[in-house]
Amino acid sequence: MSARLSEFQLVQPARIEDAIAAFVAKPGARYVAGGTDLLVNMRRGIVSADRLIDLSGVAGWGSIDADAEGMTIGAGVTIAALARDPIVISRYPAVAQAATSIAGPGHRNVATVGGNLCLDTRCIYYNQSEWWRKSNDYCLKNRGDTCHVAPQGKRCHAAFSGDLAPVFLALGASAEIAGVDGRRRVPLSDLYVEDGRAHLSLKPGELVASVHLPAVLAACAYEKVRARGAIDYPLAGVAVALMIAGGKIVMLRIALTGTNSRPFLLADVDQFIGKSVDDAMLHGVDRLVQRQVQPMRTTLAAAHYRRLAAAAVARRVVRRLAGA
Amino acid sequence: MHEPSAQYKKRLLRIKVNGRWREDAVADGCMLVDYLRDTAGLTGVKTGCDGGECGACTVLLDGLPVLACVTLAVRCEGRSVETIEGLAAQGRPSRLQQAFHEKLGAQCGYCTPGMVMASEALLRRNPTPTDDEIRAALAGNLCRCTGYVKIIESVKAVAGLAP
Amino acid sequence: MTAAFASSRPGVPLIDGIDKVLGRARYTADLDRAGALVGRILRSPIAHGEIVRIDTARARALDGVIAIVTGADCDKTYGVLPIAMNEYPMARDRVRYCGEPIAAVAAVDEETAQRALDLIDVEFRALPAYFISKDARAPDAVLLHANKPGNVEREVHHDFGDIEAGFAAADLVREHRVSCAEINHAQIEPHACLADFDPVTGRLTVQDVSQVVYYLHLMLARCLDMDESQIRVIKPFVGGGFGARVEVLNFEIVTALLARAAGGRVFMQLTREETFITHRARPQTDVVLKLGMKKDGRFTACACEVTQRGGAYAGYGVVTILYAGALLQGLYDIPAVKYDGYRVYANLPPCGAMRGHGGVNTRHAFETLVDRMARELGLDPFAVRRANLLHAPMQTMNGLMVQSYGLAECLDVVEQASGWKERIGRMPPGKGLGMSCSHYVSGSAKPIHFTGEPHAVIHLKLDHDGGVTALTGAADIGQGSSTMVAIAVAETLEVGIDRIRVISSDTAVTPKDNGAYSSRITFMVGNAAIDAAKNLKKILIAAAAKKLEAHPDEIDCAGGIFRVGRGGQAMLSFKEVVAAALVDEGAISVKGSFTCPVEFQGGKHRGGAVGSTMGFSYGAQVVETSVDEATGMVTIDKVWVALDCGHAINPLAVKGQIEGQVWMGMGQALCEETRYLDGLPAHASFLDYKMPTIVESPHIEAFIVESNDPNGPFGAKEASEGALAGFPPAMVNAIVNAIGVELDEIPATPDRVLEAIVQHQRKVKLAQKKARS
Ligand SMILES: Cc1cc2nc3c(=O)[nH]c(=O)nc-3n(C[C@H](O)[C@H](O)[C@H](O)COP(=O)(O)OP(=O)(O)OC[C@H]3O[C@@H](n4cnc5c(N)ncnc54)[C@H](O)[C@@H]3O)c2cc1C
Ligand code: SF4
Ligand code: FES
Ligand code: FES
Repeated sequence: MSARLSEFQLVQPARIEDAIAAFVAKPGARYVAGGTDLLVNMRRGIVSADRLIDLSGVAGWGSIDADAEGMTIGAGVTIAALARDPIVISRYPAVAQAATSIAGPGHRNVATVGGNLCLDTRCIYYNQSEWWRKSNDYCLKNRGDTCHVAPQGKRCHAAFSGDLAPVFLALGASAEIAGVDGRRRVPLSDLYVEDGRAHLSLKPGELVASVHLPAVLAACAYEKVRARGAIDYPLAGVAVALMIAGGKIVMLRIALTGTNSRPFLLADVDQFIGKSVDDAMLHGVDRLVQRQVQPMRTTLAAAHYRRLAAAAVARRVVRRLAGA
Repeated sequence: MHEPSAQYKKRLLRIKVNGRWREDAVADGCMLVDYLRDTAGLTGVKTGCDGGECGACTVLLDGLPVLACVTLAVRCEGRSVETIEGLAAQGRPSRLQQAFHEKLGAQCGYCTPGMVMASEALLRRNPTPTDDEIRAALAGNLCRCTGYVKIIESVKAVAGLAP
Repeated sequence: MTAAFASSRPGVPLIDGIDKVLGRARYTADLDRAGALVGRILRSPIAHGEIVRIDTARARALDGVIAIVTGADCDKTYGVLPIAMNEYPMARDRVRYCGEPIAAVAAVDEETAQRALDLIDVEFRALPAYFISKDARAPDAVLLHANKPGNVEREVHHDFGDIEAGFAAADLVREHRVSCAEINHAQIEPHACLADFDPVTGRLTVQDVSQVVYYLHLMLARCLDMDESQIRVIKPFVGGGFGARVEVLNFEIVTALLARAAGGRVFMQLTREETFITHRARPQTDVVLKLGMKKDGRFTACACEVTQRGGAYAGYGVVTILYAGALLQGLYDIPAVKYDGYRVYANLPPCGAMRGHGGVNTRHAFETLVDRMARELGLDPFAVRRANLLHAPMQTMNGLMVQSYGLAECLDVVEQASGWKERIGRMPPGKGLGMSCSHYVSGSAKPIHFTGEPHAVIHLKLDHDGGVTALTGAADIGQGSSTMVAIAVAETLEVGIDRIRVISSDTAVTPKDNGAYSSRITFMVGNAAIDAAKNLKKILIAAAAKKLEAHPDEIDCAGGIFRVGRGGQAMLSFKEVVAAALVDEGAISVKGSFTCPVEFQGGKHRGGAVGSTMGFSYGAQVVETSVDEATGMVTIDKVWVALDCGHAINPLAVKGQIEGQVWMGMGQALCEETRYLDGLPAHASFLDYKMPTIVESPHIEAFIVESNDPNGPFGAKEASEGALAGFPPAMVNAIVNAIGVELDEIPATPDRVLEAIVQHQRKVKLAQKKARS
């Protein structure tokens, strides 16, 4: 007998507009896609909803369309479908790589791209049962008024731990967002905010409809550090897109997950343009990563470790892509 | 809350379970695992964790392994669910089940239904998996008894054989 | 005694295996629960404090609540050790850890039960809480238990041989300190209990996940103040135990209390979080170990200090801290051994027995120090072990009997299989090999509840159908003990195993048994099964003799056929003999039993019974590992392990047990640990308690060594714990071999490994600087 969820009504719209309308009509509504994050959180009592809006029946929601310009991935595409799509594998192998590293096969068959991008942030003081959190007087992110990770501060440092976002960021993705006022397209990085309590810039009722990846010539790879080989979130995950011409870097993007409340593109990497990938450059990457990541005590693994590991992996992936 | 809620009415769920259609009144918040165990009486489906972390509840939904403990039952409307009880024919174990028995792929047996269903899905898709493919397919199923060695041997024992 | 290597017999699948693969095996949560109320437990939100007030009035008033019980409803303590029962099923005046049961509700459904819990008002007066041994032992610390000064539950000081002379005789003396994190059994089946109380007859029936139905039976009688004859405890299929369910657990008694209060049937299933909180597993342990060694690798002396953080109640603690010292002996020849053990109380869930009980963490400290010293002396790790072998039969200084000893063969087998000689020292960068040895008891020779009765009893029933039913109280929890009983009976009777049926663990039907702990079943219950089968065989032979008009001594019985003399003409089938036997006797019931003779029951010193056994299993293993120095990730590439289990009654099951225990050792070594945040469990899910998945689990090549123990059933000893303790040190030794970095702590999580690498590099740099200046 699993703990029953609080009662709610499930609505199953067939069009995005209806989904949004259903959301706006009922305060306390929530979107659910695969449910592998949301339903787990509901079972723990950290999220509750009077109405769940099931996005899985929305038409056109789960398609992957590729052309010369790039690729558009519907938010409803399952992680499993993404991982085995032949065009994804051939054009964006890093995407398939990241997708395969998410949770376990049973999750991936239902989990979606949209859910992965909008995954709730995580913290050892937050992803706990109701009894646990209550015994600990809750916390800023949920019902309480202090953060146990940084009690002096005013913000929540829960970590974003999705695996797809960094790869998409490195590939220069944009997101199509649908809301009451229609659709807008934003660079994917604009979807995120460095705040563990509200890490998405979505307005009420808005949802991610699709992700667009431009055609890229850069080589791209993703690597995540975690304690186990499966069903484990990244302690740190690094995606790198790198293009080299004549031995010199002409394009470089590095994106990280698991270390901050949002996935983010490493700033100031342009300094490496025109340089070659050598020890000095790798050392520079290491320093940039260490300076920009902000891991906090939100995982059982030490925060400092996540910093070091992120930097080590960044170095390694850059070197590997450069074939150096 | 033993008085049925007026606000959140149950709905009629039409679902194919192990090849047979059923209709049952189900609350929107009911998980597939509870529906299968408590309503359909299929206690071969196990629960090992508080949600989504062990794979003991793995069943096949339209042929794909999913975790019944984080799947809403009403979302399976019109779909086909297979559980461990559906694999045997006339009470006889399938080849895969027989292999788990003979090769000691099951010790305490608690992870076994989930393991077998995840393996079944793999073998339908890929009848001759390598060790690494078996590992990848069973990555979400925890076992505390076997060290997984004999589970891999069990799956390999039927690899390449007709079901 | 020389050991035969490996067994070529394949073995048989488990007799209840088919039920498991078909999904029709019923575990506690799968039982018919028609009409059952749902039980839930209210747990303490604080780690230490006095209970000032509990008010259940609001909860009782809730529609659908049938019964509520609190600490006031049970003033009897319970516990696994008669000398140390200091725990109530629900806290009465004081809570000592977060999650300790305070009250419980039986209601018509889960939601109502949960709402009722929220309506129980409890007021506490908080006390200082201690989460590490050092704090709990501080001079000004508040005592968890008034009768235990310094918050030390038990201090042990054992001194065997001349320790000073031993160290003086050594060419090299080294000491090191290691710390092993607390871990959990993490069996996949969450705890569950179904209790039925019949107010008319006053009888209680409990179906439950217990490994020892007899203890549960005893404790239910004690805590519910009932006559034992009015209680029945039944074990359905059990989804693993590993020690978690040896002790009686609070929720079991609470469920029974609820059933009695409700006058009916109550089902309780704990969440995974609650299952973790119920705990009773391996304690966080600090070991300081000092070893003396001769240039040729011979040990001269060993001094060991162990501190175990035992949690809030006694539980198994006294035994665990004694085991940690006792098991320093019985593996190698060490002329002098000194042991100081401290079992400390802390405001955390109580620890208990877990596979490899007591021995694992000291073995880890020992085998890693042996390797450090071997490196210093330029000795091969195998050679050092070989220099210190025992010679059976012998008795150790602390009174442990070693009757069979296959360690030398185990060493040979894994050395060869792993290609050690060719590969050691030639591994590619980042890869390493490590080895170690370990041992474990085949059942504690002195039971915890000592009554003077035999240590194991088996009943056999034979009736008109010709089927033999074996009744045993030994709990099959997945390890295959019922299958072992079936084989022992079938082989002794020389009939097919399909003629045997085993009924296990139903206190109304099966004889009392001390249950599934300390790997006692094969040795003790196996011997009892053989004894019973021999007794049955005597009756059958007598009946055959009468029918064939011969003397019983002339009857030859093989393959279920009875004849006069070998190859005699006149013969009877098994069924004919059964029919003949029934004519005189009616349905036949026979009994067999086994008792460990007193000389095996340990040394005369205080605590000397712990560690005593009729036979030790012996294991050696080699672990191959890769270390990613950039991230600190350790990968186990392969394991070769040999276990001397005396004789493999069922080689298939023995291999399964070897793989399972080595893998469990790997979990402890690599990534598992329970951690607390101000006393709240930070590991209480399968996402945070990182037991290995199939992805990072290596191939384990298991070899069986058979030393034929003179007292074991068919020569058998235990086969499910002895190799576990060898894994962590073999892995740490392999990591040193791979990257030259020593780890003082396990598990070797990436953050710990990276930290050790950074420290090591710092040290190396410093040394270089010094050398230059
Ligand atoms: C044991 C376990 C291990 C896991 N390991 C990993 C891992 O390693 N890596 C990883 O990345 N994830 C992991 N996950 C999390 C999760 O399975 C995945 O992130 C998954 O992709 C989430 O997708 P979903 O469709 O199931 O999301 P849902 O649970 O349906 O939704 C997640 C959140 O996103 C919102 N949402 C969903 N779709 C949209 C949309 N289109 N627009 C706006 N909001 C939306 C929902 O309202 C909800 O708040 C793990 C989960 C579990 C239980
Ligand atoms: S970071 Fe602080 S506020 Fe955010 S979830 Fe963790 S404890 Fe709560
Ligand atoms: S019960 Fe553990 S994943 Fe479903
Ligand atoms: S066989 Fe016991 S958990 Fe897998």
